[in-house]
Parts: sequence; C-alpha cells; structure tokens
Amino acid sequence: MRHTQPESGGIAPSRRFHLVRHFVATSLGMFALVAAALLYFQWTQGNFFKDVQAQQSEFFGHVQADFARQQDEAARRDLLAIHEAGNVNLTRLFANALWERDFAPFVARAGAIPVDACRAIADVRDPADGKTKPPPAKKACFADAGRQIQAIDGFAALNAKVYDAMKRSTVFKIKVFDLRGITVYSSEHAQMGEDKSANAGWLGAAQGKPKSELTFRDKFSAFEGVVEKRDLISSYLPVVAPGTDRIVGVFEVYSDVTPFLDRIKRTSAQIAAAAAANQSKVGAAAADHQDRVDRWGDVMLAVVLGLLAALFGGLYVIVKRADRILAQEAKDRERAQQQLAQAEKMASLGQMVAGVAHQLNTPLAFSHSNVSMAVETLQRYRLPLKVAGRFSGLVKSTDRDRVTFDVRKARRHLARIDEGDLDASTSIEMLQDTLQGIGQMRELVDNLRDFTRLDRARTAPFDVNKGLHNVVYIASSVVPPRIRLLEDFGAVPPLVCNAVQLNQVFLNLINNAAQAIEGDGEVRVRSRVEGDHLRIDVIDTGSGIAPDVLPHIFDDYFTTKPAGEGSGLGLGIARTIVREHGGDIAVETEVGAGSTFIVRLPLAQQAEPLEAEAA
Amino acid sequence: MSAQRALAATVRCAADMPEAPSRAGAAQDMGSRAGLTRDTRSRVLCVDDEPGIVRSLRWLLQKDFDITTAGGGEEALPLVERGDFDVVISDQRMPGMMGAEFLHEVRRLSPRSMRILLTGYSDMPAILRSINDSEIFRFVSKPWDVHELPKLVAQAAHIARAHAIDAADTPAADTLGEAVLVIDDDPVVAGLLAQALGPQVRVVHATTLAQAAAAVRDDHVGIVVADTMVARRGTTTLLKLLKREDPGIVSIVYTAAADAVDVVSLINQGQIFRFLPKPVRPTTLRIALSAAIVKRQQLKADPSVAARHEVDALPEEAQRELLASLAPAPAQPGETGGAAPASLLDRLGGSLRRLFRA
Repeated sequence: MRHTQPESGGIAPSRRFHLVRHFVATSLGMFALVAAALLYFQWTQGNFFKDVQAQQSEFFGHVQADFARQQDEAARRDLLAIHEAGNVNLTRLFANALWERDFAPFVARAGAIPVDACRAIADVRDPADGKTKPPPAKKACFADAGRQIQAIDGFAALNAKVYDAMKRSTVFKIKVFDLRGITVYSSEHAQMGEDKSANAGWLGAAQGKPKSELTFRDKFSAFEGVVEKRDLISSYLPVVAPGTDRIVGVFEVYSDVTPFLDRIKRTSAQIAAAAAANQSKVGAAAADHQDRVDRWGDVMLAVVLGLLAALFGGLYVIVKRADRILAQEAKDRERAQQQLAQAEKMASLGQMVAGVAHQLNTPLAFSHSNVSMAVETLQRYRLPLKVAGRFSGLVKSTDRDRVTFDVRKARRHLARIDEGDLDASTSIEMLQDTLQGIGQMRELVDNLRDFTRLDRARTAPFDVNKGLHNVVYIASSVVPPRIRLLEDFGAVPPLVCNAVQLNQVFLNLINNAAQAIEGDGEVRVRSRVEGDHLRIDVIDTGSGIAPDVLPHIFDDYFTTKPAGEGSGLGLGIARTIVREHGGDIAVETEVGAGSTFIVRLPLAQQAEPLEAEAA
Repeated sequence: MSAQRALAATVRCAADMPEAPSRAGAAQDMGSRAGLTRDTRSRVLCVDDEPGIVRSLRWLLQKDFDITTAGGGEEALPLVERGDFDVVISDQRMPGMMGAEFLHEVRRLSPRSMRILLTGYSDMPAILRSINDSEIFRFVSKPWDVHELPKLVAQAAHIARAHAIDAADTPAADTLGEAVLVIDDDPVVAGLLAQALGPQVRVVHATTLAQAAAAVRDDHVGIVVADTMVARRGTTTLLKLLKREDPGIVSIVYTAAADAVDVVSLINQGQIFRFLPKPVRPTTLRIALSAAIVKRQQLKADPSVAARHEVDALPEEAQRELLASLAPAPAQPGETGGAAPASLLDRLGGSLRRLFRA
C-alpha cells in the first residue's frame, strides 16, 4: 500500500497573527454593541415605565371619575326615589281629599267629550327630524277638546281648590289624565285636552306603576307664576279610587328639587375637585418617578460604560504585554531555528567537504605517485640523454661517415646505463594518467563551483538538468559507493530560480534517500515537464517511511535519527525553499519498497523567488 | 560514475596482465632482502575501483613484485582463491564490497596473506571492522609515499613467506595461565571483565600508567585491555611499546574516545588485536576476550605467528613523553620532577628498563 504525504499545512512565519490589532478591533466592536444594547434597553425601559405610569394615572383617574359619577348618580337616584315616594303620598292625599267629591264627576264629564275624531287625524312625518308628529290640526282638535273640558261647570272651583291645596308647596304643576290618556286637568290650562296615551309615563302609571324623571327647565309655569332654571321631578302616578285598587286616572306632578340637586351638585363638584387634586398629585409623583428612573438609568449606563472602558484598558495592557512576550518568543524561536538551520547547513557542508576531499584524494594519490616515479625516471635518463646529446653533437660536427672516439674514459659512466630501463613509454603513460587525474580533479572543482554558484547571479535562468547532474556528482562523493545514483533527465526548459537553494534541496533529498537505504540500492533522480510544472522526482529503493512517521516528516525538529545526529530541519527547509519558488513538495512511500520525493516547480511566471538566504 | 570507473579498471587490468611478467626489473635490495629470486618474486594483489590507482601501484611495485590487479572485491575474490598471494592491498571505499569486508574474506580464504588497507577517508565503523574482522597488518593513507610503500610491501611479503600460517584460527585451549591487565579509570570495567573471564583468569586492575608498568614487570601479563586514557594520560604509547617489546602480547583497546588517527597508529605501531567502542554488550566483550585468549595461546605456541605482528618504529619523542608522564605518578606525589625518570626506572626494575631501552 502506497502512502502519500502531500505538503501538509504549516504557518509561514510571515503570516503572523496581529494579536493587539485583532483584540482592539474585536473588543471595541463588542463594547460598542454592548453600549448600544444598553442604551436601547435603557430607552425601552424608560418608555415602558412612562407607559405604565400613564396607564396607572389614567386608571386612577377613571376610578375617581367612576366613584364621583356613581356617587352623583346614587344621590340623584335617591333624590328621585325619595321625591317619587313623596309625590305618591301627595297624590294619594290629594286624591283622598279631592277625587271622590271634586274630580270624579269632573273626569266623568270630561270623559264624555269625544276625542276619537281628533285621534283619527293621522300623524305626519316632520321633515326636520324624521319623527312622526301630530299635525297642527290634530293639536288644534285636542286643544279644542281641552277648551270644552274647561267649559265644564265647576272647573273654575276645582282649579281654585287645586291651587289652594298646592300653594306654598314644592309642587309646581299638577296634571290629571283620564283613562283614555286625555289631559282632563292641568294647572297650566293650555295643556288641557292633550293626548298622552302614547306617553311611556302615562302607560306605566295606567298599569299601576309610578314613573318619575328628573328634568331641568329654563322656564316653567308654576302655580305661582313662571319660574326659571329649575330642576324638577315629574312623576306619573296612578290614581286609585279610595278604598279600592281600581285605577281611575293618572296624575302628573312636577315638584321642585333645585335646592337638593344643587346640594348634590356641590358635593359632586367637591369630589371632582378632590379627584383632580389627587390626579395631579399622582401625575406629579409619576413625573418625579420618571425623572428619578431616567437619572438612575443614566448613572447606571455611565457606570457600566466606565467599567467596560476600564475592562478594555486592563485587557489591552495584558494583551499588549502578551503580544510583546509572544513576539519575543517567536523571535527567539526563529533565531534558534536559524542557528540550528545554519548548523544543519554546516554539518551537511562538512559531510560534503569530507566526501569531496576523498574524491579529490584518489586522483591526487595516483598522480602524486606517478609524478614521483616519473621524476625519478627522468633523473635516471639524465646520463643517457647527455650521452645521446654528446653523440649527436659529435655526429653533426663532421660530415664523414665514420667517427672514432676513445671510450675508455666513458666506459665507467656508461656502465651505469641499463639499456632495458630506457623505455620512456611507461613514464609517458604515467604522466598521461596524471593528466587524466588532473582532469578528474578539475571536473570535481568545476562541479563544486557550479554547485555553489558563488560567481553567479542569485536568481537567473537555470539549466535544471545540469544542476541536477552537478548535485548527483557532488552527492556521489558523499553517499556510500554501494548506492548507485542514476540520472534520468527529460528535456526541460530553463527555470528562473535561486539555483543555490534548489541545489541544497536536491542534495538534501538525495542524501535522505541514500540514508534510507541499508545495503545496496539505487537513487534515481528524474526530471520532466508535467503540464505547466517542472517535476523532479528523487526515487529510492530504501526502507520507505512508516505511516506513523509520514505525517511529521516536514515538521521542524522532527527526526528519526538518534539525538545529536540530525536537526530535523532538513525537509522543513527544503519545503520552505520549494514554496518560496511557488512550488510544492510531496512524498509517496511504501514501507519496504522505497520512497519518492516529488518536487514541483511552476514553469510560468513564478512567484518572485525570494532573495532571502535560505535559513 | 563509479561503476564506469570500475569497468575501465577491469579492462585496463586485463590489458596490463600479459605485460606484467615482461617488466622483470632486477630484484634490487628490497627483493634481495626478502631473499627472493626473479621467479619466486612475491605475489601482490592490488584492489581498487579507480584504475589510476591500480596502474600507479603496478608501476610502483612491479619492479620488485609479481603484481595482480582487480577493480573490486567481487572481481578479486576468485583471484585470491586461485592465486597464493603474499600481500593483498585493498582500497577501503569501493562500490559493492567494501575494503574491510573484502580483506575479511581474504583472511578467511588465504590466512597467510598479509593484509594492507588503503584509506583516503574512512569512517570509523569501516576502520573498526578492518581491525576486528580483517585483522589487517597496516593502514596506508593516500597519497602514499613512493619510497615507503615498496618497503612496507617487502616487509609484509617477507613476513608472509617467513611466518606462514595455514589457518586463521588454529584451535587452542582457551584457558590462560597468565594475568589479564585492565588499564581503566573505571573499576566497573575490571569487574565486568573478571566476570566475563571467570575465576580461572587473574585480572589485574591498573588506574595509572605507573601501576600498569608495575603490573607488566611483576605479573605475567598475557593480555592487556586498556582505555586510551587513564588518569588523564594516554595509554597508546605504552601499548605500542609493549607490543614492540613482546609481539606475543595481545592488546584490546576498549574506549569511548575513538579518533581515526589514533586507531590507525594503534594498528600500525601497536598491532592491537581488537578495538571496542565503549560500551559494548557483555557478550561482545566475552567473545573478544576468548578470541584474545586463543590468539595469545597461538602467539605463545608459535613465535612465527607473533612475528606476523611486527610493528613500525615508535618516534623517540613519544617514548620520552611516556617516560615524562610516568614521572609524576599519583602513588608518589612528593617526587621531584628532575630526578624522577631515572629513579622511577630504577624502582620499576629490570623488565621496564629493558622495555624502554632505546
């Protein structure tokens, strides 16, 4: 089963959280909301209190008015009842005194006067108020009947008796109706003959039920002349024939209650005044309460806002301090990480230098040996060369074919020359090998120079395959020789990048790959174009990465090496560099089969590769 | 890259082969010292993946020796099985089989061949393997000295011829009638060794160089187990002197401080038997000790085997340093510096005087 570990999220150090700024914005926003809410509540509470007070005051007013009205009504009802009872008694007395002897015959005679003709005259609708009213002809007909009644003998005596009886009493007027409803007597004579058969009072009294009502008249014809502005109680009262229960007629009595009513009115006015006073007191108290509630609300609001401000101030100080501490810690951590990264760089540099030194040492060793031997050989050739030179000079100095010279002196020297040892071809081979060795050394130095690229611009178009070849060459001197390094390069366009940093990344990946291999194995470095990306794979046949380790491999300080052997920063730094180039780094791994680290770099206009030194 | 080079080496070696016998230079003083005629020249095998190295070695040595070359351990092993080589020179860092591994095989296949390891840059584990598994004769660092290397090879070839052995480990009684000297600050180490060796073997514990010297003088010491430092003094010179004086002594270095240069000199000048990095498992210690006992018995039984562990000369100043460090012995704090060496030697007696005679 192959596991993959794409680049896992990590917070880039540049995206630092601005604690103070966030805190100030958030808390000020919150405090503003709280203040707004408080103001709103304060306002609604004030309004509610005002409403409640108004309702209470209104209710109180209603209650007082109701009491006053009920009191007034009760007084008037009592007045009416008392006066009606009085009128009933008066009527009874009056009837007892006058009916049998004076009124009964008179009423009997008046009843004989026909009124049916008058009643037959139809009522007409009054266009003014839409009510049906008797037309003037009907009124005139009844008035005529009244005049006929007045003309009955004994009317004047009867009238005089009535006036006598009522003199100096509170009764202002008396009317008598017969059982037809015709006014057979009225102390105001003009009203005699009127038909009251439709009147509710008359109808009630004709059935035996007295009925009274309180009225006010601006002008009233009383026994003793016309009176003005009086409160009157008018009562319709049944007249019962003395000694029987038989209703024989109906009286209407107007009695004056003005003084009583005045008293009642005065009492009512007093009560109303008291109620008004109470009402205004309640109003004043309500206003006072409202004022106090508003004032307390303001104070409370001010206190709460003050507390909030104090809270904000306190928190601000704490947060500011925390921010400073955090910033300091972050700085320390960053510095420590930089130091560790530097140490890591130095360690890998040291490893590289050691590997390179060995690589350099091999051609150096045989070149040194060869040159030493060649020098010795040349020293041996001194004498033979001298002899050859002499001989050639001798030959050139003469044009004869034969030359004789004495060899006795030379024989001793020439004995030192071993003819079998005069083959220069070995020395030539030695020096050729040495040249080859020097070539190897130069190749190494060239590669080192290309690897470090100290003489190049930091960010420049870069032949990635050449760079990879370079890194593989350098790596081959570092990784154990049992691990084969294979190059599998496809055609790729130049990449604008920081080549030194990418070299570091690839050397790191190759070293890691080699370290994952126990025993023999191979590390394949592959390059190719994939869409708009350049993809470089570092594939090893190593042990793979355990699933529990996999999620952490890019974490800083995570290492599976024993303490002191690895900083755990290598892959983290590699990822940082690749990301700064706008790319990403991922891994596919299979335990026991090996891992593939995949570096993808965008070919199109990349994010500006950072000038910053890879920490 | 390396593979290509190895291939090239093989090709070139094959090309060189027929040429080799024809380059029969006169057997000069080296060859004559080894007592060899032209036909019985010592056979030397050179193994390196770098063709430049083997060609250079051939040119350097072919005058005096019968040279065979190979481009790697795998290619060389069949040659070792077939040919009876006196000396095998191998590079340490090679693709495929590493030098220490190859020499270990050589030791098994051809015990009488003297083994020399060429090192450019060696990691500690490889050095330790070459000591403990391959029991090599010398480390030679690259670049080599064109005058010294032929001499060393001649010396090795001479030993190989003069003191041939048939098997790497001849069975012998693993009992020891002699004492084991432990030179270590830590008494726990002595206790551990005593436990490992059992009651039959006497263990002498020394915590200073003076105590160690006294023990060598007074007790019959067959095996020395030493840390490289004791009481803040280096023990390596003492170990080297002991080996030079008595090639039969078997020394084991058991230390936490391992420095590649020290270890190389301990082999070249002290022919130590084992180098164990502290701490090792008791089992490992016991195995090393019983191997040492067997070795000790062999060396005692056959002095020619001991001769195979000839060491390089020790610089004079190293000996003087050792004497100086013996002077302010903790046992004698009142001793005055000037008179110390002579009086100390007197006190230490004959065997030590013999030891340090120059």
